[in-house]
Amino acid sequence: MSCLSKNPAVRRFYYRVAAATFANIVLNILVALCFYKFRPHGPVAYILAVVPAIAILGFIVAIGQYLTEDKDEFQRNLMVQVLLWGLGGVLVFTSAWGSLESFAHFRHFNPTYTYILFWVFAGISVPFLNRRYR
Amino acid sequence: MKNRLRELRAERGWSQAELADRLEVSRQSVNAIETGKYDPSLPLAFRLARLFAMRIEEMFTDEA
Repeated sequence: MSCLSKNPAVRRFYYRVAAATFANIVLNILVALCFYKFRPHGPVAYILAVVPAIAILGFIVAIGQYLTEDKDEFQRNLMVQVLLWGLGGVLVFTSAWGSLESFAHFRHFNPTYTYILFWVFAGISVPFLNRRYR
Repeated sequence: MKNRLRELRAERGWSQAELADRLEVSRQSVNAIETGKYDPSLPLAFRLARLFAMRIEEMFTDEA
């Protein structure tokens, strides 16, 4: 599962994830601008604040589509391992950081960055997995 | 699970990439199966057996 995969299912997965991530970034910017300019409050503010996270659902859909489209079962297995490393990394990091905030007075970690952090951990796992299964 | 994939592939003079093309999987997949890091599913094991014209149990042996 290299970055420039020849596998069409992997390529489509990358495009879909890129689209979901791009939508997430654009929505984050637009929502921030809305709050800056119009200072909404109440239910409108709640709905606006949640909108960028909806784009992340596109990422979940992309995973589901990839797992049904890729005919290579080993590559699917590899993708699941990458995603698990991403999820595991985020869970450990956020749990540890939460404890550090509670007990060691660490700065607050903004959970908005969880999605980015997930990709950081997933990305870190790729060379290790590629090395294991080269 | 042990398998004779490397030996069977060598007998036919195929590279990992050639075998991967015939199976329509990645070369990485063939390598992972050959080195025992990944056990193929039953459908893939059947495809391998058909390709080498042998029975699954002649290619794969249970270590248990």
